[in-house]
Amino acid sequence: MSEEIYTGPIAGLFQKMADMIGKDVYYVNFLILMFFTLFEVAAVFFDTIPGTDIVITRGAVWAVLIIVGIIKGYGIAAFFMHLKGDPFIYTRTALFPVLFVVLMIWGIGLSNPDGIDGLPSWCTPNWDYSYVTE
Amino acid sequence: MRTVVIAVGLLVVGVLAYGVMAGGIGSMMHQDWDDANEEYEAAKNAADLALEEFKFAESRWENNGSQEEGALYEEYLESKAASDEATQVADDAHHHQVDAHLSYLTWSTAGKTIMVMFIVYAAFYGVAGFFNSIKPDEEEHHGDDHEEHHGSASPIMMAGGILFFMMGFPGFVTTCKAWLGLDYDADLSGFALSGFGTILLIMGIGNWWNEDLKGHPEQVATSHPFEGQDIRKAGMWIFLISEMMVFASFFSSYLRMRTGWCTQWAVDAGKCSVVDTTTASDLLRNDIMTLLPGAINTFALIISSYTIVLALKAAKDVNWEPSKNALLAKLFPSRKKAVRNYLLITIALGSLFIVLKLVEWSHLIAEGFTIDSQAGSIFYVATGAHGLHVFIGLLVMLFMVFKADTVGYDENNGRGIEYFGLYWHFVDLAWVAIFPAFYLY
Repeated sequence: MSEEIYTGPIAGLFQKMADMIGKDVYYVNFLILMFFTLFEVAAVFFDTIPGTDIVITRGAVWAVLIIVGIIKGYGIAAFFMHLKGDPFIYTRTALFPVLFVVLMIWGIGLSNPDGIDGLPSWCTPNWDYSYVTE
Repeated sequence: MRTVVIAVGLLVVGVLAYGVMAGGIGSMMHQDWDDANEEYEAAKNAADLALEEFKFAESRWENNGSQEEGALYEEYLESKAASDEATQVADDAHHHQVDAHLSYLTWSTAGKTIMVMFIVYAAFYGVAGFFNSIKPDEEEHHGDDHEEHHGSASPIMMAGGILFFMMGFPGFVTTCKAWLGLDYDADLSGFALSGFGTILLIMGIGNWWNEDLKGHPEQVATSHPFEGQDIRKAGMWIFLISEMMVFASFFSSYLRMRTGWCTQWAVDAGKCSVVDTTTASDLLRNDIMTLLPGAINTFALIISSYTIVLALKAAKDVNWEPSKNALLAKLFPSRKKAVRNYLLITIALGSLFIVLKLVEWSHLIAEGFTIDSQAGSIFYVATGAHGLHVFIGLLVMLFMVFKADTVGYDENNGRGIEYFGLYWHFVDLAWVAIFPAFYLY
């Protein structure tokens, strides 16, 4: 495992942090994973932001869980699984099943009771629901 | 011989852990639980009696015109206070009873899990080591180039073993039930098929152990799209694709069902009004003590992902030097021992994950969250499938520890750790999705 120098907007940020503390990117990635795990547990556990009266809504928790999940997933796949340094064919291979995951989520959406007439307005650009509501 | 000694050592550790945790502390906790049961029964009876007395005093007071003065009113107030106090005592006793039960389950389940895991570890070491010892050290060559890789029959043997095991598994289960005296007819053909599959699987594992221990040149793909890449690495990624699909199907099933349930979360969000389904996360996320096993497991998996990266780094680092920190220098005195010890730490963390998972399951089952419900079914199947992946990873790591301790890993054969690491990181990645979905949401 060579000491690779990571570049790019996100991986480069990891590299900069690693250079700052004088450790490798794996160590930085490990710290980030630990921190964000604490963050997501705290987001669910606390009803308000500690020290304030600001309520943590369900929507905010959802957003935290999804964003933190993406960050942690990126850290593990890019650095621990080494997709960032390996030939791009491995990234393409890893992303292949995502197509099916998207299809499954699409199916979940369509088969959900709210999937037709319960969507938010930004998701339904002037759709005609007359065939549903008639 | 070395593997047999290690196997015996593992057995001793497993039995000791069972003796101390389940037998010793577990028995004490069981005694506490029994005492708490008795206390609760007594407190409940006292509360029932106090309530009866209160009802009697209340009816007498009401029959007398409910006047807020006089002896009957005093008696009414006193009996009400006594009843409230007795109810409070009974509630406290009930909480203590539940706590005592969960404490007993924690120690008992942890002890039993460690023992079963170590028996499997010992069996794995013993059997695979035995197969390794009876194979000749040098294979016969037939005039081929010695450096050429001949391919391996082990994966086919193992796949066939799993196939036959699964084909005969229903018969295996009913036969076991029949032998245990339950009302089932033994299906010996299924049992035999399953047994044959198990033997084939073990032979495949032993053969693979032997082949990998000796080492072999890496095969390289010669055609598009993996041209020039190690075949084992490409194969591992193809395997991981199928794994992603398995977990995606669990995940999407859960999401689909979850959006249809009226859970506490949905009520809080104003989606529905009456809770019709309790999920595992409803029972786990609101109390730090119930969330703790899942949270510790998350950290354990992340740390184990990092330790396996460190094992790989140590294996591939030709300029490896012991740390200047005295403790780290003692823990990792040489490159060979550093690789082995990082792998051992990874095994310890993975084992902790399994133990905490089963402790958590035992608590959930004690609270009535069983596999009989839709929410329980998807929770136990998804987290159980993940736990099984962790456990299989631990078995593979046992072999890697043995190899690190004997042959050793270096810059030439360290790829084995890298390819296994891909699997282990994937298991971590799957948990990144499972933990928030099943424990926090």
